[in-house]
Amino acid sequence: MSDIEETVESVQVNEDKEFDVEVEEHIEDEFAVDPTRYIFYRDRKEWADLEPVPQDDGPNPVVKIAYSEKFSDVYDYFRALLKNDEKTERAFALTADAIDLNAANYTVWHYRRVLLQALSKDLKEEMKYITNIIEEQPKNYQVWHHRRMVVEWLNDPSEELQFIADILSQDAKNYHAWQHRQWVIQEYKLWDNELEFVENLLEEDVRNNSAWNQRHFVISHTTGFSDPAVVEREIQMLQDRGLSSQPGLLERVLELKETHCSPYLLAFLFDCYEDALENIAQKEKVEEEEQKETLRKALEICQLLAQEKDTIRKEYWEFLGRSLRNKYGNGTLSDEPMAENPEPSISASQSQEAS
Amino acid sequence: MAEEENEFEEFEQIDFLRDRHVRFFQRTLQVLPERYASLETTRLTIVFFALSGLDVLDALEVIDRNVMIEYIYSLQVLPTEDQSNLSRCGFRGSSHIGIPYSTKGPGVLHPYDSGHVAMTYTGLCSLLILGDDLSRVNKQACLAGLRALQLEDGSFYAVPEGSENDIRFIYCAASICYMLDNWSGMDIQKAIEYIRGSLSYDSGFGQGAGRESHGGWTYCAIASLCLMGRLEEALSQRELDRIRRWCIMRQQSGFHGRPNKPVDTCYSFWVGATLELLDVFQYTNFEKNRSFILSTQDRLVGGFAKWPDSHPDPLHAYLGLCGLSLIGEPNLKKVHPGLNITQRAFQHLQQLQQTWRDNTDTCGRQH
Repeated sequence: MSDIEETVESVQVNEDKEFDVEVEEHIEDEFAVDPTRYIFYRDRKEWADLEPVPQDDGPNPVVKIAYSEKFSDVYDYFRALLKNDEKTERAFALTADAIDLNAANYTVWHYRRVLLQALSKDLKEEMKYITNIIEEQPKNYQVWHHRRMVVEWLNDPSEELQFIADILSQDAKNYHAWQHRQWVIQEYKLWDNELEFVENLLEEDVRNNSAWNQRHFVISHTTGFSDPAVVEREIQMLQDRGLSSQPGLLERVLELKETHCSPYLLAFLFDCYEDALENIAQKEKVEEEEQKETLRKALEICQLLAQEKDTIRKEYWEFLGRSLRNKYGNGTLSDEPMAENPEPSISASQSQEAS
Repeated sequence: MAEEENEFEEFEQIDFLRDRHVRFFQRTLQVLPERYASLETTRLTIVFFALSGLDVLDALEVIDRNVMIEYIYSLQVLPTEDQSNLSRCGFRGSSHIGIPYSTKGPGVLHPYDSGHVAMTYTGLCSLLILGDDLSRVNKQACLAGLRALQLEDGSFYAVPEGSENDIRFIYCAASICYMLDNWSGMDIQKAIEYIRGSLSYDSGFGQGAGRESHGGWTYCAIASLCLMGRLEEALSQRELDRIRRWCIMRQQSGFHGRPNKPVDTCYSFWVGATLELLDVFQYTNFEKNRSFILSTQDRLVGGFAKWPDSHPDPLHAYLGLCGLSLIGEPNLKKVHPGLNITQRAFQHLQQLQQTWRDNTDTCGRQH
């Protein structure tokens, strides 16, 4: 969902790193100078010219995060580079350390992009780098934005569809991945194979709402829905999943109702009846019998939903039934399926208040 | 016998543990361990979750208001002497850039210091919750910083350096303009176009045009339009009815954010508040919603998680409380569904705005 929620989810990932630092400090005692041991920036000769800048939360910090020495050290030097707007290789290398510790810090990513351009870095290498990071942290906003910037600079989307497909194979509903995919397809006109890609995903999970959305996205930007051949093809696709065929939308849906009586189908039927009622009402000569019959059928659906098929939304379906009756009914209706049910004297919210 | 035991268990599990939640938010406001590093740049939003959470619990007396207020003002990006950074003003998420602590101007010139739209939004909310009069907010600078973030298509960046742009930041911008009672911070018409463009074929809102409809973005869309006072201008009755339908179909027990995804505590607020803004929240099932939210309550450390038997976090702790407040849970303060602060804090804002208007009338000057 939000930036916040997803950064909080990624919190679990960093637990391992705390452990690594402790292990390294322990090894230091036991061995002589080990070329692979971690050295703080403050102890590196090539950084001696730079004065580290600590974080300053003032006398009474709020929501303070307790950083380890290693973490503070890296970021104290990051802040120093930032202050001087230093554009060097060592700055570029440090951004990788900073990202490793907190890939959600958008300032680090921005600074890295500034350096990528100032130092004319190899953007293909950067693509490899960002690919690895996204694989590790696929729900982070900053990493996807960074990838988009690099793709734009390279003007090369050739890896994108495959890469996103890979991420989606791990989580077929990753919102960031789908968003990036839509951007790439629209920007670089890569529509050709997308319908097939969507169909494969629907094969795996027909309930994948992201895939259905993508289907709509592709069709609306390519053939559109007004071509009858397109509509037929879509219906055919649904038929292939075991649904029968009948001419006319309403008849088709009514037939489906017999075997696939889901709340969604019934709600759709209700909407059809509501639309029909509006059409009847707008005619010059209102057909009273037709109106009565259509209203009766609509109210029947409301009752079925409220009492049996979608009881969690009972109040809502009854509300819709009342609204429809107020709008299209007249006082002389005697064969209404629902009992006389005037507006309740207390509001629904009062009657439902949690105990 | 067995049935009685079950009922007793059920009662235990749906017991709302107020004191645990108060302590959860108190601890959040103090120190978090390093594994929360990814929250560094968004710390002010965490401050907001904790403060507003305590407000909803009617427990603000446990914190030192003045300490909080000073800290928040230290995060304001103020204009420099020569006012060359106006388009970068607003509030920071934290001190991570390394600007020395200061609650007064003028601003310090720094090549990378700028506000973040979600921090300006939560910073202002937090000050209001604490009863501050916003007199130390440089409103014109905030609005200038806001204007600099809006794109041609009506959406907003989060920061002037550039970032992703989408409907979340339109909501932040609308909230800022609403609180400051000044809509010069944004082009409303363009924002409405972007919002309309984000309306999906299934009548939910995506993060932008073509994207999958989602409970969080639907909240941002509807709440923004409500704050702008343009809901019925931007959307037809038919569209609104369809949006109500999309939202109300999100209830499974609690609410989920997208069709065929698992329910998650935070959507009890995102979707619930949207339904409230659309006048149909009363038709949802309160009991099932409540049961689900409370099933995600952490009985040991307090707070709420997205799912049962998961770790609680400040966002879900706060939004879980807001979800309960919407259904009228006793002893929780009412929440303004559009601005996402208590009605009490909202009334404080209204009084402030009346004072500003009175001052402008009598002196003819801008506040």
